[in-house]
Amino acid sequence: MKARSTLHRLPAVWRTSSSLLVAFWIVVALFPIAWLVVMSVKLPIDAFAPNVLDVLRGPDTRARVGGPSGYDLLLAGASLGLAVTVHRLRRTLFAPFADTVGELNVGGTILSYLTTALTLGVTTLVLTPWLGSALEAATPDGPLAHPLLGATLQHFRAVWIDNAFHVHLRNSLYVTGGVVTISLTIGALAGYGLARKGSRIAFWILIAALVFRALPHSTLVTGYLPPFIEFGLYGRQIAVIIVLVAINQPFTIWMLRSFFANVPATLDEAAMVDGATRLQAFWHVVMPVMWPGVITTGLFSFMLAYNDYLVAALLLDGRDQTMVPAIMQYFNRETTLGDQLEAIAAAVSITGPLFLIVLVFQRQIVSGLTQGAVKG
Amino acid sequence: MKTWILALATAIALGLPATAAAQCDLDNDVPLTMLSNSFEAWKIMSDAMTSCGNFEATLDADYRLKINDALAADPAVYTMVGVSNATLTPLLADGLVRPLDDLVEAYGQDLLPSQLIRVDGEVVAISMMVNAQHLMYRSDVLDVLGLEVPETYPEVLTAAEEIAESGLVDYPLVGTFGAGWNLGEEFVNMYLGYDTPMFTDDNRPNVANADGVAALEMLAALGEYMDPEYLSFDSTAAQQKMQQGQAAMTNLWATRAAAMDDPEESEVGGLVEFAAAPAAFAGGAPATTLWWDGISIASNVTDAEAEAAFQVLLEGIDRDVLAEHPDAAIWLSNPPIASDVAVGAQASAEGGAPAYPSSNLIGIMHNAAGEFIPAYLNGETSAEETLAAMEDAYLATARENGLID
Amino acid sequence: MNQRTFWAFVGPSLFMMVLFIAGPLVGVLVQSFQQQRADFETVERESCTPFGCTTETTAVPVTDDDGRIVTRTVWVGWDNYAALLDPDAVRAALNAPGDALRQLAQIRFWDALRFTVTFALVTLPLVLVLGLLLALAVNTLTDALKGPTIFVTLLPFIITPVIGALAVRWLFIGDGILTAGLERLLEREVAMFAQGWTIELMMLGYRVWHVVPFAFVIFYAGLQTVAAERLEAAGIDGATRWQKLRHVIVPHLMPLIVFVSLIHLMDSYRVFDEIVGFSASGYRTSLQYLTYEFLVPDESGNRSIGRASASAVLTMIGVVILLVPLLRNTWKEQRRA
Repeated sequence: MKARSTLHRLPAVWRTSSSLLVAFWIVVALFPIAWLVVMSVKLPIDAFAPNVLDVLRGPDTRARVGGPSGYDLLLAGASLGLAVTVHRLRRTLFAPFADTVGELNVGGTILSYLTTALTLGVTTLVLTPWLGSALEAATPDGPLAHPLLGATLQHFRAVWIDNAFHVHLRNSLYVTGGVVTISLTIGALAGYGLARKGSRIAFWILIAALVFRALPHSTLVTGYLPPFIEFGLYGRQIAVIIVLVAINQPFTIWMLRSFFANVPATLDEAAMVDGATRLQAFWHVVMPVMWPGVITTGLFSFMLAYNDYLVAALLLDGRDQTMVPAIMQYFNRETTLGDQLEAIAAAVSITGPLFLIVLVFQRQIVSGLTQGAVKG
Repeated sequence: MKTWILALATAIALGLPATAAAQCDLDNDVPLTMLSNSFEAWKIMSDAMTSCGNFEATLDADYRLKINDALAADPAVYTMVGVSNATLTPLLADGLVRPLDDLVEAYGQDLLPSQLIRVDGEVVAISMMVNAQHLMYRSDVLDVLGLEVPETYPEVLTAAEEIAESGLVDYPLVGTFGAGWNLGEEFVNMYLGYDTPMFTDDNRPNVANADGVAALEMLAALGEYMDPEYLSFDSTAAQQKMQQGQAAMTNLWATRAAAMDDPEESEVGGLVEFAAAPAAFAGGAPATTLWWDGISIASNVTDAEAEAAFQVLLEGIDRDVLAEHPDAAIWLSNPPIASDVAVGAQASAEGGAPAYPSSNLIGIMHNAAGEFIPAYLNGETSAEETLAAMEDAYLATARENGLID
Repeated sequence: MNQRTFWAFVGPSLFMMVLFIAGPLVGVLVQSFQQQRADFETVERESCTPFGCTTETTAVPVTDDDGRIVTRTVWVGWDNYAALLDPDAVRAALNAPGDALRQLAQIRFWDALRFTVTFALVTLPLVLVLGLLLALAVNTLTDALKGPTIFVTLLPFIITPVIGALAVRWLFIGDGILTAGLERLLEREVAMFAQGWTIELMMLGYRVWHVVPFAFVIFYAGLQTVAAERLEAAGIDGATRWQKLRHVIVPHLMPLIVFVSLIHLMDSYRVFDEIVGFSASGYRTSLQYLTYEFLVPDESGNRSIGRASASAVLTMIGVVILLVPLLRNTWKEQRRA
C-alpha cells in the first residue's frame, strides 16, 4: 500500500486548502499560455488593446474578418466533447490491443491517440465550419448566426503557408530526434559503466560532470563559431546536434546512472556467467528493464533540444534554422505589430508538440522518476 | 474565418509550398547566399533576389555576431552581406569585402553615383536606402493647442508641457529609450547635436564635458514626459504608442513612418505628420544621425560568384521591386521613388544632420552609453558620474582592442 | 567491470564532454589572462556615401600583405579581472559611509553579482516549498483528477523558456492585463517596468513559475515511494500531520530536495533569459548577461573577449562556491556508495 491511502483520510479543512492550492496553481500555470493563444487569433488593434475585454471580444477583428458564430462555438464544444468521449472509450474501442487488466499495449495506445486526434481534427476543422455555415445560411437572422467573438487564423496562415514554417518544424524534428537518439545512446553506455564501476575515477567523472552542468552556456557556445566555420560545420544541423548532445551529457549520465544503479548488478552478472559479453548483458538483460528511465531521461533531452535557442541561433542560418530561433527572428524584425502577432502565432504553434508529448508521456514521467532517479 | 480554417487545413495536409512573386529577369545558376539585418526592407529585397534562383538569404537581427567570422572563412560562408555605415567599418578594416569597381563598370549603369559607397576611391558597397530618426507628431494635438511644430529640443519640452497639461494624450512624448543600443543611439544623436567631437585626436574619449552633461540632462527631461516604462522601449514599442494614440510626439526612424497610417494597426491614421529632428539648441543642426544601408560582396569568393552576386544584387534593388513598397524605406533609386513619408528624413538631412560616424571608436562609446545612462535616468547616478563611467568603460575596451595604449 | 570495458562504455560520452565543455573551459581560462590587440595607425581617408564625400582622419588597424588585421596576443596578468572587479572603486565606495552601497552598485560586476546571488537564493526556497506543497496537495486528489492536474501543472516547465518569459511580459508591460488589474486593485497608476524592484520581482516570479513544476514532479514521484507502514506507525505513535511531514516525509525526500536544489542553483545562477525577456538590462543585469555583453561585438566590431572570459571564470567560481554545501553532501554519499 502506498502513502496515498493515509493521506486520503484528511480532515475537510486540509482537503479544502490543498484543493484551493491546486486550483490556484492551475490558474497561474495556464493563464499566461492561454492569454498567448487569445492574442494569436486577434488583429493587432485588439490584441494590443489596453482594455481586457477588448482583447477577449476583439471588436475590431469581428468587424473586419468576423469570427466564430454561436453555431460554430456550440459545434466546436460538441466536437471537443466527442473527442473526449472517444478517448475515454479507448479501452473498449481497441479491446484487441488490451492486455488482461484492460491496459492498452504500445500499439493500441498510439492507435487510440491517433483516433482521438483524427476525431478532433475532422470535427473542428472540417465539420464545424461546414455545418456552421449551413446553419447560418438557414437561419440568417437567428441569434446564433452572427460572429460572437472576433477571431482570425490569418496569423497562423501567414506563419505556416506564406512563410513556410513547416520547413523549420522539419528542422526542429530532425535536430530533436538526433539529439535524443545520440544523447540516450552514449549516455546509457556511460551511465551503465558509471553505475557498475564504483572506482575513484568513476566518482571523479561524476563530480566533473556536475561542475560541467553548472557552466554558463553562452561562454562556451560563442567560442564554437570560428572552429565550426573552419571545419565547414557552420549551417549544418549535425553541428547543433553534436553540441546539444555534449551540453546535455552531464545531466543525462547522472540521470541514467541512478536508473542503472537501481537495477541489481546480479542480473547482468548472471547473464555474463552464462557466457554473455558485457555489451550483450547490457543490451539484452539490463536495457529491457530500463525503458521507463530511458523515456524519462529522453523527455528531458527532448525539451532541451526542442527549446534550444542559443546554439541553433549561432550555428544555423536561413532555412536550416530550427523553430525557436526562427520565431525570435520575427520578433527581431520588429517592424510591424502584425509581425509580432505572427511571432505569437508561431509561438503558440510550437507549443503544440510539447503539449502532446507531455499528454502522452505524463504517466511515464512520474512512474519513471518513481522507479529510478528519485531513489538513487 | 472559415475559409482560413479550411485553407490552413488543406495547406498543411498537402504541404503546399510558399508562393514567391517572381520578379527577377535573371536565371541565376551560381549558388549564392546573403546575411543581413532583418527589418522589412531587407525582406523585400531578399524576396526579389530569391526569385532569381539559387539564392538563399539569412535575415538576422543579430547578424553582427556572425558577420566577421563568416566572411573571414575561406571560402566565405556568405557571398553577400547587408551592411550599414557602422557595420561596414570592421569588415573594411579586415579586408573582408571586395572592391566592386569592375562590376559597377560592367553592370551598374543604372546606379546613381550616390549609391556607390567609396572608400579611398574604391567602391566597397552598393547602397539602396537611407534612414534616420526624425520628428513625428500628432498634427491634431498641436493644432488644438495652437502649438508650432518644435524645431529644437527646448521647444519640444515646452510643447510637451502644454500637451501634458491639456490631457489630450496619455503621454506627450515617446522615444526609443530602451536600455542598450537604442538609448546609446539617442545619446549619440543628442551629443553630436551639440556639435562637439566625441573623441580627441589620439582616440581618447571626450564626453565628460558640459555638452555631455547637457545631453544627459535633455534626455532626462524628455524622459519626464514619457511613459514611466520608457527604458524598455524599442522602436516597435514607440511606434505602438503612437499608433494607439497614447503619445503625441516622437523622434522615430523613417522606416516606421508608414506604420502611422497603416489601417491594420493604427488608430491615428492621417493624423501623424513628419518634420526634421529637433536641434539640440536654437540654430543647431537637427540632433540625429543619418544612416545608409547597402550590400557588399565578400572578398573570399570566386570572381564568377562575385559577378553573379552583383547581378542578383541589382535585381534585389531594382527600381520595380522597391517602387512596389514606396514607404517601406527611403529608397535610393534612379529615377527617385516618391514617398509620402520621407519628408522628415529629408528635412533632417537638409538641416545638416551628420552621418553616423564610420569609425572603430564610435561603437564602443555607443555601447557604453547604452549601458550606463539607464542608471542616470533612474536617478541612481549623477550626470558627471555617468559620463566618467562611460569614459572608463570606453578606455577599458579601447585598450583591450589596441586602440590606445 | 574491468578498466578497459569501463572506458569503452564511458568513452564516447567523456569524449564529447572533453571536446565541447572541458576544452572550451580551458580556452576561457587562458583567455581571461590575455588580450587580443591590433596596432592602429591614424590615416587620412576619403569616403563617399549617399550623404556626400568627406575626408577624415581616422584610426584604422594595421593590416598584413593580404589586407587582414594583424593582432598580437598580450598576456596581461590579472588586468582583465581588475577591470571587472575595479578594486579602486570598491575601496573608494567602502570609504564613503552612507553612500557605499550606491557606489558599489555602480560597478557593473558587483551589481550583477548582487542580483544573481539574490535571484538564486530567493527563488530556491520558494521553488522547494511550493513544489512540495503542490506535490502533497496533488497526492490527495482523486485518481481521475490527478492526470489532468499533473498535465496542467507541468506546462510552465515544458514551455520554451524564451516564449514563456515573453508571455509573462505581455501580461504586465504597459497596460498589460495584469497591470491593469493591479491598478484597479490599488486604485493608482502602476508601471511594472518603470523601476528596478518590480522588474526584479517579476523575474523572480517568472522563474518560480517556470521551475516549480520540475520540483513538483520530482517530489510527487518521491511521495509515491514513502512507505505507508512508516506513516501508519507514526500515526499510531500519535504524531500530528505536521510531525509526520517533518519527521517522515521530508527526511524521505531529502535526497530529492538536495537534487532539486542543486539543479535549481546551477540554472538560476546563470540567469539570462529573464534579463532579455523582461528588457531588464536598464535596471538589473546578471553575471551571464554581463559576460554576454562583453562577448558580443559592438557596432564597429569591437569585442572584449578578455573581460568576457574573466567574467565567465568568476561566474563559474561563484556557482561552485554556492554549490559546495550541496556538493559535499553528494560527495559523501558517492564515497559511501
